[in-house]
Amino acid sequence: MIKITDLEKYYATEEVRTIALNKLSFSVKTGEFVAVMGPSGCGKSTLLNILGLLDDPDGGSFMFNDIEVSGFNERKRAELRKHNIGFVFQSFNLIDELTVFENVELPLIYTGVKSAERKERVDAVLEKMQIMHRRKHFPQQLSGGQQQRVAVARAVVNNPKLILADEPTGNLDSSNGNEVMGLLTELNEAGTTIIMVTHSEHDAKYSHRIIRMLDGQKVTENILADFKSSERPLTTEGGTLTPAEVK
Amino acid sequence: MIRNYIKIAFRSLKKQPFFTMINMFGLAIGMAGSLLIALYIYDELSYDKMFADADRIYRIDTDIKFGGSERRSSEAAPPMAAALEQDFAKVESTVRFRDQGSILMRNSEESTNSKERGATFVDSTFFKVFGIELLSGDKETALKEANTLVLTKMVAEKHFGKDNAIGKSVVLNNEDTYIVTGVIDDLPKNSFLRDHSVFMAMAGNVASREDIWGSLNFFTFVKLRPDTDLDNFQVQLDGMFEKYMVPWAQKVFPGITKASFEASGNYVRYYTMPLTDIHLYSDRNTEMSSNSSIQNVYILSFIGLFLIFLACVNFMNLSTAHSLKRAKEVGIRKTLGSNKKELIAQFLTESGLISFFSMLIALIITLIALPFFNDLSGKSIALPVANPIFWLVIISVTALLGLLSGSYPAFFMSRFKPVDTLKGGSQNNVGGGAVRSTLVVFQFAVSMILIVGTLVVFEQLKFIQNKDLGFEKEQVLLINDTYAAGDQLRAFKDEVLKLSAVQNATLSNFLPTPSGRSDSSFFQEGDSEQQNAIQMQEWGVDTDYLRTLGITLIAGRDFNKQSVADSSAVIINESVLAYLNLDAQEVLGTRITEANGPNDIVPYTIIGVVKNFHYESMHQNIGAVGLFLNKSSGSMAIKLKSDDYSGVVSSIESLWKGQAPGQPFNYRFMDDAFNSTYDAEQRLGRIFIIFTILSIFIACLGLFGLASFNAQKRTKEIGVRKVLGASVSQITFGLTTDFLKLVGIATAIALPLGWYVMNKWLQDFSYRIEISWQILIFSAVLVIIIAILTVSYQSIKAAIANPVKSLRTE
Repeated sequence: MIKITDLEKYYATEEVRTIALNKLSFSVKTGEFVAVMGPSGCGKSTLLNILGLLDDPDGGSFMFNDIEVSGFNERKRAELRKHNIGFVFQSFNLIDELTVFENVELPLIYTGVKSAERKERVDAVLEKMQIMHRRKHFPQQLSGGQQQRVAVARAVVNNPKLILADEPTGNLDSSNGNEVMGLLTELNEAGTTIIMVTHSEHDAKYSHRIIRMLDGQKVTENILADFKSSERPLTTEGGTLTPAEVK
Repeated sequence: MIRNYIKIAFRSLKKQPFFTMINMFGLAIGMAGSLLIALYIYDELSYDKMFADADRIYRIDTDIKFGGSERRSSEAAPPMAAALEQDFAKVESTVRFRDQGSILMRNSEESTNSKERGATFVDSTFFKVFGIELLSGDKETALKEANTLVLTKMVAEKHFGKDNAIGKSVVLNNEDTYIVTGVIDDLPKNSFLRDHSVFMAMAGNVASREDIWGSLNFFTFVKLRPDTDLDNFQVQLDGMFEKYMVPWAQKVFPGITKASFEASGNYVRYYTMPLTDIHLYSDRNTEMSSNSSIQNVYILSFIGLFLIFLACVNFMNLSTAHSLKRAKEVGIRKTLGSNKKELIAQFLTESGLISFFSMLIALIITLIALPFFNDLSGKSIALPVANPIFWLVIISVTALLGLLSGSYPAFFMSRFKPVDTLKGGSQNNVGGGAVRSTLVVFQFAVSMILIVGTLVVFEQLKFIQNKDLGFEKEQVLLINDTYAAGDQLRAFKDEVLKLSAVQNATLSNFLPTPSGRSDSSFFQEGDSEQQNAIQMQEWGVDTDYLRTLGITLIAGRDFNKQSVADSSAVIINESVLAYLNLDAQEVLGTRITEANGPNDIVPYTIIGVVKNFHYESMHQNIGAVGLFLNKSSGSMAIKLKSDDYSGVVSSIESLWKGQAPGQPFNYRFMDDAFNSTYDAEQRLGRIFIIFTILSIFIACLGLFGLASFNAQKRTKEIGVRKVLGASVSQITFGLTTDFLKLVGIATAIALPLGWYVMNKWLQDFSYRIEISWQILIFSAVLVIIIAILTVSYQSIKAAIANPVKSLRTE
């Protein structure tokens, strides 16, 4: 599903150029659960931003379902992103002014789903995340674990092929953290590809494979579990998208 | 310490040049606008205060209703002054003016006349009452003798150069010789005498000694003793009617009593008008010089306060918005041990500096704008740079504004918690959102009202200019003071008529352009009941009058040159018909009489009726007018065929020089004369435009500030939305509509209010437009477009920002 080759990213201030990603290469198969680990400043977040099509690499190739996306403009990236990728953040990033229901509903609004269907799908996902009873509350009224469950609900409501999780348990206590990890595992077992950045060895054990990074490069790879790929086609609004169409 | 504050303040202002400039410029614009208004109001309030004892000088005004016509006069009867002085011990002295308007004046040794504005007969007590000193001459004797006069310095120098004018003689209107007995300084621009320059001794005015209580043509001022009780004085004034007016009236209308006079609904009332109130509060049928109104002062004060208030609020909003960027700085300072007080001092120093530089810019803007503003307002205001009080006010206002506008951001920022700000989050719960929104609504509501006001004023002016006046004002040349040509006037008219470019010409003493006029009482023949009196203007015209001015005859006939009987004929306008209860056809042949005295009754036969034409401004209804054939010579109206005005004017001028050598040639085009009637409205319109633009500009700055504040506050939210797939246009739309909601509320408030206020203003016109819905819609759309343009910059900027930056939490 994902194949990056010699990926490079620099951050330049007036005088200093920092290398965030240094010719990084690896691939992720559809349905895989990959954990990315490494010390602060090793380039994990940069990697996640590029994988999430939030940022553009400065060099190298990024194939997303066999489509080269590294040269995509903002509009095309956004289009691809909103149909295929869901995000879970350490700090939840829920919108304080919106209720639980409205937060989860947002991605559906942006992909143009009709209101009746939205309600159905949001309710279904809230039910699944066991947060239905909180649907009219605002984020500040929830515990951290509940907030992260809402964030996960929001990430999956659009049935993304890929979920990118940036330290999803970083702001949670261990029981809430385990609960969230359980949710992610369930999603993965249902077929969603997950790439997770984490500092926690405990969380990383939920994955199939751990990629360890240092100074923008891959250092080691530990395979924890056996994984059999089952490629699924990439979709957009209209349905299946072929590589030729995206270009 | 303070030096350190200033140094750091300078650096942080320099670091953000765009923000600093917007902030400074916005504040400067508000300051400059308010400063201009303050100078204007200061000038308006200063009128006539320069006269010694101004606080105890009063003008005697008269309200009169008689024979169906009402008059609110600022003049009194000729014997009023003497009677007051004689009857009331509280009256210290009195002075009367008998205004003569413009006169022709020449040095008796020369033959060329020049026209002097503002000649008046005045009692010799003039100097004593107003405390005016003579530059040369003796004020005890200066105006005692008939045929003596006092000139202002400017006029004296014009006729006599640097020589001493005292004892020299001048000729007025080619007839009367006067000896100059005094020269006074030019009268202040902010006095009711500003247009007067020639003061002739009252002793030479016969009417001033007549015992006629029925005519009101003397501006009468009394100086009361310092301890006078005004209410008591009013009671005494009320008694004047019965004591003097009634006995006099009995000579003309035998048997009349106070009771019978009042029973028929008539009245005569006397009032005192404080000298220093005349300029802003007096609005009577005649005034010695045109007045302003306290309403304008109120409106402008409001606008001035509004401007400065908004400029401050916007400064606060912009600074507060900007402060989010500096949250980290505050956090670090606090971590390093700075306390709240020092932080507040630091931020106040910054706002003080901005305020100081803004004031400098404001003073420069004011200096540049003053000439234009003077032009606009018809004043000659200057910055009182020599006045230490002015600088004291400027400095205190600067400090106050710096303190006021800096206080909120300073306290707001110094409250930041270092832990939160260093982590980069959590300034989201900033209070005062409702206040900021209310201010935006308020600003836009006022801007919209001002736009509606501007549009209505200009629509009304357009309406007036295009309205069918009942006569043709285009291509009509007016020559004033044609009496100066004396016996040669007829010959001059004949020569003018021979010019190929001239279609027609008429001599008359009244034209349908605003001028001083008075009504006379007429009666239907055989009737002398005072309540049936026809109050009608008496205009002397010649046989070419209707033709030249294109006035339409709707019944009867025009004057006939050959008919001798036409000298006792009258052509009336439609307004007279109401008095006679007859229609235009029936009225022909009716005879009306004018009583010049108990035994002098002159009859006239109505031979024609003309369609009503506007001869006063559209503020007034059209009154009754009678046109009489006589040898009038006041001014000539010439209807031209061609558009080559300069060519025609110069050939007419050379004809005039031939027939009236040495006499000034004063001409004007009638449409100009007409337009000047609406000077006040034009001025109001232009002042409206200026301050409308200013207020919109400042409102936009405020909105801009608020938009940038909001965009920053919502950075995280926008980032989240983008990550979830929102497009740039969706985000921009979302941010913009939030503000449009505020502008929408402003519209809902402003349109009805603007409609109401401007309808009130229009009530002043007897002939006026209806405020159309297009005006309201246009104003709203204009404001909304401006708001969208202002907000979209910030919205788009926020929307295209990379969410990676806004969501970074590490």
